[in-house]
Amino acid sequence: MDFEPAYTPEQRAFRAEVRAWLEDHVPHVEGDQDSDENYAKYRQLGRDLGARGWLRPTAPLEYGGGGLSVDHAIVLAEEMDRHDLTSPPYYDSGGSLGGASILVWGSEEQKRRLLPPIFRGETVTWQLLTGPEAGSDLASTQTDAVRDGDEYVINGTKVFIGGSHGADSFWTICRTDREGARHQNVSWFMIPSDLPGITVERMYLLSDGREGIGRGYKNTIYFDNVRVPAENLVGGENNGWRVASTHLELEHGSGGRIARNVWFERTRDRLRSLPANGAHPLEDAETRGLLADLFMETEVQRLFELRNFWMNRTHQDMSYEGPQASYYRKMSGLRASQIMLELLGPYAQLNDAEFDPTGGRFDSYLRNAIVSLHPGGTADIQKVIMARRIGIGRGESERERAGRTVE
Amino acid sequence: MDLSLSEEQQLLKQGVEDFIAREAPLEAVIELADSELGYSPEHYARVAELGWLGAAIPEQYGGAGLGLTDAAVLFEAFGYAALPGPFISSGVVSALIVEEAGSEEQRAELLPRIAIGQAIAVLALTEPGYGWGPEGVHMRAASRNGDYVLDGVKLFVHDAIGATHLITPVRTGDDGALSLLVVDASAPGVSVRRLAGFTGSECVVRFENVRVPASAALGEGGAVDEALDRALTKAAPVLSAYQVGGGQAAFEMAVDYSRERRQFGQPIGRFQHVQNHIIQLVNHVDASRWTTYEALWRHDSGKPGFEVASHLAKAVTSEGFVHAVNYSHEVHAGVGVMHEYGLTLFTTLSRSLYHQLGSPRYHRRRLADLLVDHDLGPDPLD
Repeated sequence: MDFEPAYTPEQRAFRAEVRAWLEDHVPHVEGDQDSDENYAKYRQLGRDLGARGWLRPTAPLEYGGGGLSVDHAIVLAEEMDRHDLTSPPYYDSGGSLGGASILVWGSEEQKRRLLPPIFRGETVTWQLLTGPEAGSDLASTQTDAVRDGDEYVINGTKVFIGGSHGADSFWTICRTDREGARHQNVSWFMIPSDLPGITVERMYLLSDGREGIGRGYKNTIYFDNVRVPAENLVGGENNGWRVASTHLELEHGSGGRIARNVWFERTRDRLRSLPANGAHPLEDAETRGLLADLFMETEVQRLFELRNFWMNRTHQDMSYEGPQASYYRKMSGLRASQIMLELLGPYAQLNDAEFDPTGGRFDSYLRNAIVSLHPGGTADIQKVIMARRIGIGRGESERERAGRTVE
Repeated sequence: MDLSLSEEQQLLKQGVEDFIAREAPLEAVIELADSELGYSPEHYARVAELGWLGAAIPEQYGGAGLGLTDAAVLFEAFGYAALPGPFISSGVVSALIVEEAGSEEQRAELLPRIAIGQAIAVLALTEPGYGWGPEGVHMRAASRNGDYVLDGVKLFVHDAIGATHLITPVRTGDDGALSLLVVDASAPGVSVRRLAGFTGSECVVRFENVRVPASAALGEGGAVDEALDRALTKAAPVLSAYQVGGGQAAFEMAVDYSRERRQFGQPIGRFQHVQNHIIQLVNHVDASRWTTYEALWRHDSGKPGFEVASHLAKAVTSEGFVHAVNYSHEVHAGVGVMHEYGLTLFTTLSRSLYHQLGSPRYHRRRLADLLVDHDLGPDPLD
């Protein structure tokens, strides 16, 4: 076993190149990381990474990706992580999950047309899944797409969408046969966001700190007779549930992640910086026990993500591991947030320039621990999927298989 | 990065599974639980013969010289079968103590005998004032005419029944320094009794005026505290692997039962409450598995942070095994508590091993001591 990537001299040289390049290109941001001004800097970083093939390193070269090996991708992910960044360094859910889905299900023409702008970081794409009538039950979407000549006419509403800075395209699932059987009546579309009939309206959630880290809102998107070229339907009409299996598999956490355990360190360091009331909290046995608990929570989560990263990249047969990591992340995030509340006291809740030098980091963690229980499938939905994959109460032949995430 | 078992490890695992199927199926293990010794000396001899007992003992001392990860793969498969016996106590815990604390002569004398099963050495550390750190050792050995004389009680000693040697930490000299005395279990004044209760192999060991030669002390007069601690920190994730195996068995039993057992006209696994039990169960088992194997990998590849990883693994795994078994019981209801069904073998083990080499509370404390200043961010390039 080896829990670390092994690096060849060539990869070490690549790391040195990446590190030096990032030093020069990662923007210096002050104040609210999510302000329009700072967002623009991160977008530029995305374009610069994309131009080098480093934004989507393992995506095929002919579609605008980097055509690089998994090991290169690991190096890039680790070097981005040193700057507390992921790739892309902004919200691009439709690019990440839609791009992967198009690679599996798109036609050659669609791959050549739709993927390069995504993989080069030229555009931002949001995924539009949840509807007012279809949350956990995604297959019940009531956003309709009706064929009319060379176009589909789309009507409906999607909620809890995207981030704060707009998108160039929407990657979404629609009902293409009102009379069709469940799971055989939906299709996926890539929709330019500037088409007539699209309205975007802000939704404010618990996670919207008005200032500081984690600021940001969601959106409601209305489609009112929006005409989308038929060539933008991906994966075949009424074949959308099979496309969804790829999209959802990745969304449910089977992609995994390699990252340092940053929240343990951040919490410990914040604790160390707090004013003492008599003996310092770090000298207190109960406090130290809680610190160990936080480490246990965050390390297990890190290891689940690491395992999935390895399984996904080396094309191991996956079963329940994706939704397991997703479920664990949600629940352990909530438990970790409670430990922070106990360890840091009311300082954990602050986003107050006078008494909180972190810029609201823990305030944001505490809020997002709750908000992130639901996106990408609720914690309960993750358990439903795990149960089907494990085959609880089902014969071996009825056991559900993981969705396909590679071509 | 490669989280799969190597080909050799898969063969090792397969070998143990074949051995279990042939010689120690669940029904046989259920019967062993009621035997006086609690395990089968024939199993022990066979395991030694197959070279597994000395898996982690260096070749120069008669072992197979494998890594701790290899040994863990092997003992995980033992745990999956709930196979009882002093395999880990002697072949891993005691062997590591002798290796870490013993003189060259003592290693050459003891380790080959442990590897072939001729000597069964177990650690008699804990006392009525229970604790796994050196601070838990109060028993004194007096010096008399160049010998040590032991009087006292060691309590909750795992696998002492049937052991030939007791590695007994005691306080010696005016300064009360820690010494590790290798006591012949058949020496006059030594008595061993298996404890009654919801316990596994735990025993009480009494020493009444037991004389042992000064040469029985491991090492050459230097401090043995650190050597003992190093040995236990290394042994802990191997024991964790045995717990992982037990948790995996409790998981698979629950899944099978969720498919077979029908109530209200359908398999009980169709009920979401039942599904939830099994999901929590597998999460505990997987958390245990990956913390355990990461610790073993850190050890075998000489990566920094092994101590932290070892304490983490034992804490997570001891808790995880108990939870895993509890959830399996929730799924099984009445059937699960029937002696003849076999789940209770794992239940008893989960309670017993919770404490062996230190409970989660102990390891959390050790972990916290390290974590206050621990640097988690090794730079891959450096």
